[in-house]
This record gives sequence, structure tokens and C-alpha cells, in this order.
Amino acid sequence: MTSMMNDSDKTLQSRLKQAQQDAEEGQVPGFDAVWAAAERRAAARPKRGWIAGAIAAAILGAITIGLLPPAERHWEFVDPAEFESSTSWVAPSDVLLPDHRVDIYREIPVLIESTKIEEGALL
Amino acid sequence: MRDSDVLENNPQVSRSALEAMHGQVFGWALSRCNFEQVVAEDLVQQAYVELLTGKARFDGESSLKTFVFAVVQNLARSRFRRISSRLRLTQQAASTDAGIVQPVEPGENEAVWQAVQTLPQRQRDIVELVFCRDMTIEAASRVMGVSTGTGRVHYDRAKKALKEKLGNDLNDE
Repeated sequence: MTSMMNDSDKTLQSRLKQAQQDAEEGQVPGFDAVWAAAERRAAARPKRGWIAGAIAAAILGAITIGLLPPAERHWEFVDPAEFESSTSWVAPSDVLLPDHRVDIYREIPVLIESTKIEEGALL
Repeated sequence: MRDSDVLENNPQVSRSALEAMHGQVFGWALSRCNFEQVVAEDLVQQAYVELLTGKARFDGESSLKTFVFAVVQNLARSRFRRISSRLRLTQQAASTDAGIVQPVEPGENEAVWQAVQTLPQRQRDIVELVFCRDMTIEAASRVMGVSTGTGRVHYDRAKKALKEKLGNDLNDE
């Protein structure tokens, strides 16, 4: 590249190089410090193999669970007589009655017969 | 290359080779982030992490220097693409706030430096790589991720623009 440069190119180069060096002066930290920090960062970074291994294990686990036979069910049967003696049924509308679970029809209501016909119907 | 020097995940890279070019690489990182030293250090560290872990694997297709410069360039590009708008706002605020530390500017050859800073980014990059980092146009283009032809165009335009800006300054010497 240098051989292709004429005098003004070389002047430009030397002045720019000097300017660049001035700008960078005192700003460059030692290699060892930067390298040591990089090594720590590299060690802290999870390795690709670990990630691939974890993904493979997860897939294998999912397949294994999918292929397992379903767990056996334990049926428990109830004796009908025991069931009937231990349960009762109450109509939901019973709560509307004035006296729960007592026959309100203690006496048979007397129905008054009407023989008087008004407009073609019994009163 | 000493055997003990070779990186485990990058067999063609040695620690001593990286150490030898550390100053140049750091300089390149500095100019990627407007001479913010902390950001540059983080960039270089990240580049070394990529090499240590083998995520950036050197295959010997180019020189190691070209490769490492390209790694830094790519890291800077992907990082600053995300935060470029925020960075621009910060820089605008910093330029109006005297309390914030400004990037270091060179004392000597300031005219040349200022002229380079006015160039478009790619022209600035190729000028830095060729003039300050002693790279060929081909290697510089590789670092920048452009074809050699495109790199040459940027280089020629940059030189022309600098000569127009500096004019007599260059002929005086």
C-alpha cells in the first residue's frame, strides 16, 4: 500500500497517524487485565454443549412421559344398602315451607261446595 | 506460536499474537465508540471472549489482525445499532453540557484530525485502517464488510476530500 502513496499521501498518513496516537495516548489498558477479564467472562458464559444437553434431556423426558402406560385406576364400589341408609333427599323448595319437614296438612282442608251458578260457572 | 499459548477453542490463535496487536485493536475499538474508554474496553473484552469460546473462529483465510479487527467492528455494529439513537441523544446532551467529559482530542495535527472527523463514516474507517493501522485496502475492506472495489472507492473519495479540505497544509511539508 505504501508504494502506491505519493508525497502528499505520505504526509497525510504521518500526520493522521500522529493525531490518532495522540488521541489514544494513555487510553489503552494493559493486555493482561483485559485478557483476565475476558477469561472470567468466558468461564461464566454457559457453554453451548450444556444448553444442547439440557434441550436433549428435556425432549427425551417428554418422549418418555408420553410413552409411559397410563396409571392403573383403583375402583371403589359402594354397597347400595349402606348408601341408602346414609343419605337422604330434601327438596330444595322445602325451605319455603313454614315448618320444615312437618306435614302442614294436619287437617284435611274443608272444601266448600258451591252450587250457585253464576254466569254458567260454579263459584 | 508456543503450544501453551494456543487458545483451546481457536487453535490458530495464540494469546501472544493477540497481545502483540492489543494496542492496535484497542485503538480501533476506541474509534468505534467515540473514544469512550470504558465502552472500548468492554468491546475488546467481548472480542476476546468470542475468541476464547470459539464463537468467533479464525480459519486463517485472512490475517489474524484483519480477523480480530472485523470481530470488533461487528460487535460494535451490532451493539450500537441497538443503542445508536440513544447514544446520539446522549452525545447531543454531552456537547451542550460542560460538566460531561468530552472525548480526548489530539493537540497536534488537529487540522488533519478535524478534517477526518468530518468525513462520512466509511471513508473515515478506511482512512484509519489504511493510514493508521497499516492495512491494505483489501484487508480494510474485509474488516468493514465491503468489497475491495467499494473499499477502494471510499479510500479514493476520502483522500480527495481530505486534500481539498487541507489543501496547502499538506503541500507545506
